[in-house]
This record gives sequence, structure tokens and C-alpha cells, in this order.
Amino acid sequence: MKSATMNRLISIAILASFMATGCISAVSAIPAAVKTGSAVSKAAREITPEEEYYIGRAVAAKILSMYKLLKDPDFTAYINLTGQAVAINSEMPFTFGGYHFAILDTKEINAFACPGGVIFITKGMIDLAVNEDELAAILAHEVAHITHKDGLGAIKSSRWTEALTVMGSEAAKSFTPGEVSQLLNVFEGSIDDIFKSLVTNGYSKSQEYSADESALVYMKKTGYDPSALRKVLQNLQSKTGASDGGGVFKTHPSTEDRISKVSTKLTESKVTEFFDVRTKRFSGQFSKFSK
Amino acid sequence: MKKLLGILTLLLVPALLAVPSYVFGETMQVVTKENAVRAECNFFSAVRAMVKYADTLDILSTKGDWYLVKFGDKEGCIHKSALNKTAVQLTKSEGGKHSASKDEVSLAGKGFNPQVEDAYKKKHPEMDFNLVTEIEGYTVQAEKLGEFVKVGGLTEPSGK
Repeated sequence: MKSATMNRLISIAILASFMATGCISAVSAIPAAVKTGSAVSKAAREITPEEEYYIGRAVAAKILSMYKLLKDPDFTAYINLTGQAVAINSEMPFTFGGYHFAILDTKEINAFACPGGVIFITKGMIDLAVNEDELAAILAHEVAHITHKDGLGAIKSSRWTEALTVMGSEAAKSFTPGEVSQLLNVFEGSIDDIFKSLVTNGYSKSQEYSADESALVYMKKTGYDPSALRKVLQNLQSKTGASDGGGVFKTHPSTEDRISKVSTKLTESKVTEFFDVRTKRFSGQFSKFSK
Repeated sequence: MKKLLGILTLLLVPALLAVPSYVFGETMQVVTKENAVRAECNFFSAVRAMVKYADTLDILSTKGDWYLVKFGDKEGCIHKSALNKTAVQLTKSEGGKHSASKDEVSLAGKGFNPQVEDAYKKKHPEMDFNLVTEIEGYTVQAEKLGEFVKVGGLTEPSGK
């Protein structure tokens, strides 16, 4: 009897221990950071995902005022599948409005990541890719600019401080015409800051290298060959020899430096039989697209 | 008996230390326009419930980059990037679903909002926001993405 009681007690203790430490379930406990409900600081808060979304929409509209949108439903669908496959393997698979990949009808070689998730890739840039892995490399680099919030980083801090002042401490309200006018100025300035960074001046070298580094991670996680990033950069470099130096070359650090940095991060990767499957479906789509 | 107490102490102390990490009733808000609560913690699992921006979900636990959540009477998984900490503790309605108050919604949404975008559009009629909306319509169904990933020998992120 005594022995039975002891055994029961030990069993209960073991069960309690397993339950509490999560060994029974694969589902782990909530991290400490999540438990602390924090009040939103109205004085110095970050740009919310919804605000980032509206900023991104305006940046996209501004880019579309410069470039023509290429409407090819099949290739657009293919680009979106490739981009989404990479995006779900990033640290931010979801944004407020989601990731959307669109093609710009220009031979200029460039790609733009608008805050919030709209990514433009030019026809000239697509022409650089010779297989799906290389296309994924380009898209992964742009996804990284979004997850790193590089576009938002271009907004002058004084603008956001001004915006917060206009917003004030009231939680819910429609803005008065005067407030809208003030916010419009800040909004417009923010769009111009980002546009300048995306299209005219380019991101800093460190932002570009960091986006390349993240792209390698996303590609490896997705199952693409990370060395495709180096290959597409080499394709880019060979094109630049005959280029007038426009497009992406105004907005990125030297391709040679990027190739060199990427090479140091690459580890040996195996090319599987699926590489051929992916290349075949890329070629199938690309042949229709390039006609 | 001393041996028994020793065994019990060894088993129960770590157990008790681990208990505080299971805090039920914490809530987080959806920070995407809409999202899915899925049966399993992966992107292609069956949808248990659709949630919208500012919906408040009960956090039950985590699994890798996913939260196991409860929304109304539905339980399932949602990726951590779709949620943010709840700014204000909400009260439960009778059905068990939370509803965000006007204040709570605006806390996340105020600032650069549709009102400001409308003003910007008026000032810049040369910009075609309809095209941007069209691009936002380029969506990928989870099933199609799952098939694309599978056929291409790509990796589906796991909830581990």
C-alpha cells in the first residue's frame, strides 16, 4: 500500500513535470516579451504597419508615374509565386497589405521595394536571370529591403517628429482640414525622401550588402541555390560593360564589391534534380513572356 | 521517505519554475489587413478562421515563429508577423470574441491613413493609385503556393 502510494506520487510528479516543461507538447510557452502588455507611446512611437502601407502605396504610385506597368498575367503570377515562396521564408512573411510583385515595362535594369510590400522588377532586370533561382535571388534581395525597412529609414526623422506633433495625444479622431494639410506636407516629404533613396541616390552600401546577406539566408531557407545571387550579379556585371551606367548602377554600390561580399558568405551547396524542374518552368514562362 | 521527497523535489521544482511561462489570457492584435488562423502551424494548412486588422486573439502558446491562438471558439495557428502586442486590454464579449474599440483601432491606424492618402491623391492627380490597387490584387492562393513549392522541390517553412 505504501509502495503504491509512493508510485502514484512519483507518477503525478513526473506528469506534472512534463506538462509544465512542455515535454509532452511540441508547443512551447509564450516568450516573456509577449506577456508584457505595453501601452502605446504616443509621443515617440514607431511608424505602424498600416502607416507603412499607406506610405508604400504612394511610393508605388510615384514610381508608376515614371514607368509603365507591364501587364502579363501569366508571368506576373509566376513572379508572385516565386516572390511569395521566398517571402514566407523571411523573418516577416506578412506585412499589413502583403507582398505583391509587379513588372515594369522598361529595359532599364532595376528593382524597387516600396515600404509595406509592393516590389517592382523591371523587364531589363528579369532579362538578367537565366533560371528561377536567379530570379528568386533578385526578389529575395528586394524582400530583404522590406523586412529591413530600408525605405522607411530614408524618411528624415524631423518629419516623423512633426507628424507625431500633429497627431497629438487623442486616440481617435478625424483630422481637421488644417491637420490634414500639415500631415499631407509630412507625408509628401516622406514619399520624396523614400523615392530619392530608391530611385535617385540609392540605399547605402551597408544596406545593400545587408540585403544581399539576408537574400542568401532566405534563398537557402526556401531551397533555392544561394550561389544564384552571385551568378545574377555576375550577369549584371557583364551587362554593365556595355551599359551607359543608368538604372540600377546609379542606385547600388559596385557590383564587383557585391559579388566579392556575397562570395565570402557562400557555402557549398548541392544542386538537386529540382533545379532542372525549376529552370524548365522558368524557361516555359520566360519564353512566353519575352515574346 | 526521504528518498521519495528528494525525487519529488527534483521533479516538481523545475516544473513549478516553468509554470509561470504558461500565462493564459494574453492577447495580441492582428496587424495585417486580414489573415488566417490555420489548423496547423504552417502556411498551407487548412483555414480555421479568418481574422481582420485589429481583431484581438488570445495567445495560448508559441510554436517556433507561430502563435497558437484562440479566436472566438476557434483555435489554431497564426504567424507571429501577423500579430502585435495588444495596446489596450479588451473585454470579452459574450460570444468569446473580442471587439476592438474605436480608440484601439485608431491607435494602430492613426497618422498616415486614407484621409491623408486622399489629400495626397488630390494634390497629385498624375499618380494612378488604381494601378497600385490593381497590383495589390496580385495575390497567391495558399494552395497554389504549396503546389509551386512542392513541384519545385522548395522548402515549406515549418513551425518548429
